[in-house]
Amino acid sequence: MVQDMRLIELKGVCKSFGDTRVLHDVNLYIRKCEFITLLGPSGCGKTTMLRIIGGFETPSEGEVYFDGKDLTGIPPYKRRINTVFQKYALFTHLNVFDNIAFGLKLKTPETLGVKTKREAKAEIEKRVQRMLKLVKMEGYEKRSVDSLSGGQQQRIAIARALVNEPEVLLLDEPLGALDLKLRKEMQLELKSMQQQLGITFIYVTHDQEEALTMSDTVVVLNGGRIQQIGDPKRIYDEPKNAFVADFIGESNILPGIMLEDELVEFAGREFPCVDEGFDANEPVDVVVRPEDIMVVGSDVGMLTGTVESVLFKGVHYEMMIHTGDFRWKVHSTTMQPVGSEVGLSIVPFNIHIMRREAKP
Amino acid sequence: MKRSWLATPYAIWMLMFTLVPLVFVVYYAFTTKAGDVTIQNFAKVFTPGNLQVLVDSLRLALFCTVLCLVLGFPAAYFLSGKDFSHNQTLVVLILVPMWMNFLLRTYAMMTILENNGVLNTVLTAIGLPKVSLIGTEAAVLMGMVYNFLPFMVLPIYTVLKKLDRRVIEAAEDLGANPMQVFVKVVIPLSVPGVVSGITMVFMPAVTTFAISRLLGSGMIYLVGDMIEDYYITFTNRQVGSALSLVMLVLVMLSIGLLRRVDPKGEGGGMW
Amino acid sequence: MVNGRRVSKAVKGTYLALIIAFLYLPILVMIALSFNKSVSRAEWTGFTLDWYAKLLVSDAILSALKVTLSVAVTAAVVSTVIGTLAAIGMHAMKQGWSDLMVTLSYLPMTTPDIVTGVSLMLMFVFMKVPLNGGTMLMAHIAFDTPYVVFSVMPRLKQMDPNMYEAALDLGCKPMEAIVKVIIPEIKPGIVTGALMAFTMSIDDFVISYFTSNTAQNLSMLVYSSARRGVEPTMYALSTLMFAVVLALLLVVNRRNSLEEM
Repeated sequence: MVQDMRLIELKGVCKSFGDTRVLHDVNLYIRKCEFITLLGPSGCGKTTMLRIIGGFETPSEGEVYFDGKDLTGIPPYKRRINTVFQKYALFTHLNVFDNIAFGLKLKTPETLGVKTKREAKAEIEKRVQRMLKLVKMEGYEKRSVDSLSGGQQQRIAIARALVNEPEVLLLDEPLGALDLKLRKEMQLELKSMQQQLGITFIYVTHDQEEALTMSDTVVVLNGGRIQQIGDPKRIYDEPKNAFVADFIGESNILPGIMLEDELVEFAGREFPCVDEGFDANEPVDVVVRPEDIMVVGSDVGMLTGTVESVLFKGVHYEMMIHTGDFRWKVHSTTMQPVGSEVGLSIVPFNIHIMRREAKP
Repeated sequence: MKRSWLATPYAIWMLMFTLVPLVFVVYYAFTTKAGDVTIQNFAKVFTPGNLQVLVDSLRLALFCTVLCLVLGFPAAYFLSGKDFSHNQTLVVLILVPMWMNFLLRTYAMMTILENNGVLNTVLTAIGLPKVSLIGTEAAVLMGMVYNFLPFMVLPIYTVLKKLDRRVIEAAEDLGANPMQVFVKVVIPLSVPGVVSGITMVFMPAVTTFAISRLLGSGMIYLVGDMIEDYYITFTNRQVGSALSLVMLVLVMLSIGLLRRVDPKGEGGGMW
Repeated sequence: MVNGRRVSKAVKGTYLALIIAFLYLPILVMIALSFNKSVSRAEWTGFTLDWYAKLLVSDAILSALKVTLSVAVTAAVVSTVIGTLAAIGMHAMKQGWSDLMVTLSYLPMTTPDIVTGVSLMLMFVFMKVPLNGGTMLMAHIAFDTPYVVFSVMPRLKQMDPNMYEAALDLGCKPMEAIVKVIIPEIKPGIVTGALMAFTMSIDDFVISYFTSNTAQNLSMLVYSSARRGVEPTMYALSTLMFAVVLALLLVVNRRNSLEEM
């Protein structure tokens, strides 16, 4: 990577609240115009990371750089970063227009690119209108924010942040309060807004599907530590450890032993795989995605088992198949009746081997 | 966080005008006029005569609290129900006297109960014998109940009003009849309000001195009057402070005991 | 069933009516007597406004009124400012500290008035501060402010926790964020607190009685004249004060019900 593409860089950032440490030695850089998502279960430290970037928390150790300059001690109001808060934090004593214009009204006419106060007023009006158009809320200027639906409040919160033309927009689970359909729509809209404006979005969510859909880069966090950084496809296809595999998508995770390069033993038999570089007989975690397991005739499978339950999931069936020592979750477009004997087969490419890690 | 410093003026004010003065009470209670440490002041507080006053005050305050609870709980319960479409107005009506100067209220009570007051005028007019109420415990008790009743109604009403109606519906759904709903659901859930109401009635009742002065016309002598006398009439601040301290400890103890019934303090205050 | 319900409603209605009658009868009697020509309470001898006229020329009453109002207004203003700032500060504090402050705020509310009164008197006397309107004012600010704190705190708790940060995020300096965002958001609580402080102050007798010698407020005046015997000018005064409290309460109540809408 070229050094000057790094807009924000976190170096050795730690954060403790009292005796509890919520972030451990976080190192991360964020490129210009990147859509980066901090993903993890609640309490993993993702919101704290966002708040450190926004300037609402100071790291206990480590530094945050913005465009190569140390941000430590710079208050939020001096950062070219704006935030869309979790529950929007709209100002209920102001109407829609004044909410969006709030940041602009704090600026001097000069910084708005005009000379007089009167011109500033016109300029603010123009910019707010542009924002309302961007978030498709034209005509709502005079409405009180309390009278808006969750989705509309969300749009106003985005407009209020974007109107200040930040270089980075922080979004803290902004879609959490919306229903599923609206969420999906907003995901696409946010993504296209980001591309249209050409600014960096740092997005916090616990929803792995949301993260995979929208992001250029996904940062998976757990227990205050970065587990894996990568583009969505890589994260999904090549999870670095059992946590990532389990958290992103659905997985069958079972213990195994790496016998030699490209040969692993689990579920009571040996499987050819593609991984190398482990010690002989090293204990490992084996991850297989439910959709990567093929259901075949009971006489030709690598494993045989009994179908215990079948659930229709829309596009596919989800079956639980018991093979004596493990219960496999299998996704398939064809259904096998409950109680039937089936064979399971896995190609080497779809067996992912994870090093066992000492628990943090 | 810088914002927390905004509380500094308040903290200083509260220390200076709430905590420090209480320290003075303790100081005076344990010293002689010459400034030597002593516990003699407490010995003077607990003379048989004074103890009688203390017992009388507690008894009257207890009666007053029980009467307020017995009268106030049904009122609060009815008000919180859905029977009265204008009950917001009724609530305000019951609360308005609470906001009126309590001396004026006592003054009004005096007007009615006096020997040649309104009550006796009415009794004479309809041919009944006069009653001599003023100067009796009954008059003082009536004055107390009259003054403090709204303080019992309001917290109970607030708690009952906030009570989730679905809980009652759930009880009905599970087969409870109205009486069982009341005894097994409404009463237990109203405990925080009752606790708060008892505190708000008992505390002023046990320490009042104006009500007993005006309605007791010198015949009824309570702890409040005694404290007033020690400070204002006898200017014996030492014994007065010892007495105040005893009073304060008694009140704090009873509040502490009540809090055990409602550890979460959900009854809150008045708002 | 329908009948039973109607009966129960009638019973409840009667009960409430009796309670309200009990609470209002003395007040109504007093209002009526304030217009009564006779000094005696025994008989109605005709309508008069004399007592109100006497009220207006009585130096004692007018000066008590002045003391009451000036103390109440000043105490309300000062305690509203201190109390609002305190609530904002306490809201931003760490849990332990704000709990401590809340406990401290409950202290004057759970201390009997008479003990608060004598404790302040002892302190002032010890420090050789003359007991006058000034000491009364300080005492009033001390017992008013917790009420302001407790009516502002719930507003702050209801507020979106990120409100202050959103203001900073959009370019406000910390003080600007408080003035432009926090205070407007909690304004209803501040107004309620101010009105409560004002009413508490007007209402106070016990603490004023012990903390002031030279300046007398209305409650103290009522007490001293009541010990001398009932006087019809006091009825006129009571009637006026009742009207003021009623008006204030209507304003507060209207505000609250408007908000609920």
